[in-house]
Amino acid sequence: MTCPYDAPQGGRSSVGQHDAREIAPCEAIPFFATAAELARRGLDDLPDELVSNRHLIYSSPATLAFNSPGAEGFGVKRAGLAIPGSVMLLVAPGCCGRNTSLVSDMPAYKDRFFYLNMDETDIVTGRHLRKIPQAVEEVVGCLAVRPSLVMICITCVDALLGTDMERVCRKAEERVGLPVRPCYMYALTREGRRPPMVHVRQSLYSLLEPRSKRATSVNVLGFFAPLVDDCELYGYLRGLGVRSVREVSRCADFDEFQRMAEANFNLVLHPEARFAAADLQERLGIPSIELTRLYQVDRIRSQYRALGKVLGARFDDAADYRAAERAVEAFGDVAPGASFAVGECLNADPFELAVALTRYGFEVREVFGTLQAENYVFLRRLAELSPQTRVYSNMEPTMIHYDVRSNPVDYALGKDACWYHPDAKGLAWNSDVQPYGYAGVRRLFEALRALALACVSEGRCGA
Amino acid sequence: MRGLRKYLTPFAPDQSGAVSVLFELGGIVVVCDAGGCTGNICGFDEPRWSEERSAIFSAGLRDMDAILGRDDKLVEELADVARKIDANFAAIVGTPVPSVIGTDYRALRRMSERRAGLPTITMDTTGMELYDVGASKAYVALFDRFANEGLPIEPGRVRVLGANPLDLDCVPPKEWSLSFEDVVRASAAEKNLVVAPSGLRAAKLLERRFGTPYEVANPLAAQDAAEIAMSYDVRGKRVLVVQQQVAANAMRDVFLSHDATSVTCATWFMMLPELAQSGDVQLHEEDDFEQLVYEGEFDVLVGDPTLWRIVPQFSGVTVDKPQFPVSGKLLPQGATQGTAPFASVSSRRNDAS
Repeated sequence: MTCPYDAPQGGRSSVGQHDAREIAPCEAIPFFATAAELARRGLDDLPDELVSNRHLIYSSPATLAFNSPGAEGFGVKRAGLAIPGSVMLLVAPGCCGRNTSLVSDMPAYKDRFFYLNMDETDIVTGRHLRKIPQAVEEVVGCLAVRPSLVMICITCVDALLGTDMERVCRKAEERVGLPVRPCYMYALTREGRRPPMVHVRQSLYSLLEPRSKRATSVNVLGFFAPLVDDCELYGYLRGLGVRSVREVSRCADFDEFQRMAEANFNLVLHPEARFAAADLQERLGIPSIELTRLYQVDRIRSQYRALGKVLGARFDDAADYRAAERAVEAFGDVAPGASFAVGECLNADPFELAVALTRYGFEVREVFGTLQAENYVFLRRLAELSPQTRVYSNMEPTMIHYDVRSNPVDYALGKDACWYHPDAKGLAWNSDVQPYGYAGVRRLFEALRALALACVSEGRCGA
Repeated sequence: MRGLRKYLTPFAPDQSGAVSVLFELGGIVVVCDAGGCTGNICGFDEPRWSEERSAIFSAGLRDMDAILGRDDKLVEELADVARKIDANFAAIVGTPVPSVIGTDYRALRRMSERRAGLPTITMDTTGMELYDVGASKAYVALFDRFANEGLPIEPGRVRVLGANPLDLDCVPPKEWSLSFEDVVRASAAEKNLVVAPSGLRAAKLLERRFGTPYEVANPLAAQDAAEIAMSYDVRGKRVLVVQQQVAANAMRDVFLSHDATSVTCATWFMMLPELAQSGDVQLHEEDDFEQLVYEGEFDVLVGDPTLWRIVPQFSGVTVDKPQFPVSGKLLPQGATQGTAPFASVSSRRNDAS
């Protein structure tokens, strides 16, 4: 099909009189590739449409978390305030802090965000850097309670200017007698080696001062909200004799946060915490073990066995394993062979979750996801189990043409999939509190079962 | 301290204003950013975005794109989208990144038109100006580029300029919305109605080009003020109104007609000399507002409720009139039809007691 705008160069733009028209598709089909096709092509030969830096980024509600990580979940702004009692000074053009009121309206962030708006003269002369120590002093001075830490958040502009914010922070520290640390909301470096969410973790944990080690202390790194309270991991660690399992989000105050420095080892549950863990190993001598979030119960068991091997223990996971398995079966009883669309705005790797669902006997028709080296292994497995599963990129421009009628599903998992499938039974599964391990699987399928039953009881659908 | 905000979040920036004007016109809108600006615009400053599909894209700039000035890559990607989406035009909206690297928008426009075959407009917004500056640039760019010459005047056809969610604090009434056809047929209008300062430059342009007269007025704000005056007696009161300038002026007229002793208009946004009266105030910093209120001896403050945190010692009456580009809070549903209460009045003196 030929698009009317495949016109000769300069043809249309030279027309003096203009006609109005509605936005309409030339080829009204969003781009997708099947899992089989992608597995055949390999990671190095993905279609351009599925590689985000080879096209414009379509802005739909499904991609808000990509374009504005601070607006949903934990972006740099919320993450930078993970330390209890801390405040943030955002030094940036006004546009960078515009949506912060979404966060500062939350009770936990009230009176914790401050702004130093930059103008063009600041950019040309760099004078905003000289103002920061005084601004920090004014902010600290206007607070009823002295903060534990001031985070200075800077953005793309300073990335381009090559600002040495470490030096500026040291000057501010001298002025207020408080720790002042930088965090970098550099969207420009999002696909670099150390993207903002990696760096902010490094910045936070750089505050830990050396302490004597305690064999009974362990840190869980990776998330800015805690794991679900009934996560079996806590029990397994207690079974090893661990008395304190610390997560930054569960620290009541700065002193308790500092006690994370006494840990015997770190458990890294999110790859973005890898560099922070490496820093802690180098600086404080705390080794780390990395685990992956999975929804395949047998893989979870294998991972716990491997962890036990490293720690010289064996976890008794039979009851947790069975509980997770039962939850899957119970959902299967009310929704046998249900079909799914799986998005990426959720607490899971969409490709791993798609593999899990397929292995449990459900049908995954669509995955909205970003393929990377880490999850390509799951894509290959998905291709074996469900070769016709369609893989879409949320960010690809032709997603503007996505039509729910083209591939309806029973269930949509993830905020983005729910947006694309408003008629399906939708579960966002994107809470701040993190589902993990067997507890994560159990909770997911319990939530799906509740959704199925609610739908039936309300007479909206059959099971 | 200049630039320091202790109580208010930053206001809607120029790039949001530009997109607000372009939103419903059926163009391909490319925000020339790394992603965050588009997220802010769509996820916060554009209430229509979650309801309607619109062709808004982020350039998805990365550090090397900025360092190497890869405009050709952006143009190729725009051309690719233009092949897949049938659109009226393309618009490239600036942000801090192109501002810092000194993007040549004229060159970008020419390259885009050649490569994509779509008429293209560019707005050199920087993310450091306020929304009305960007909205004004968008109106001017649109009419300058797309308005056709010499159409016969259609009696009764009135074009409304400055009617976007950021200027009106609500989604514009349908009859006020601007379509691409309205832009193309601008010369057929009998009159232009300017409801916000952002529309004035375009109105002057259209007057110059087509002889279309314009009137500056904001009936919605006047209606809001009349409702306030019905629920609260402003007679003998000294009133401070903090809104966009045309809305503030409309409210002033109503309050004075209800025998207010004096009405001072202040704005964080454009203060155009031809629309200002003696004593009106241009606000820049939180300190400006604090000083104005404490030294102004006002009885009544009308404005966005987030402002009241700056002046906790004010002991008069505050009337909440949310201003979308200030707090990001829209007027309640139905406010534009005048059917729902939109403002709440509270007495600081009574609250304190």
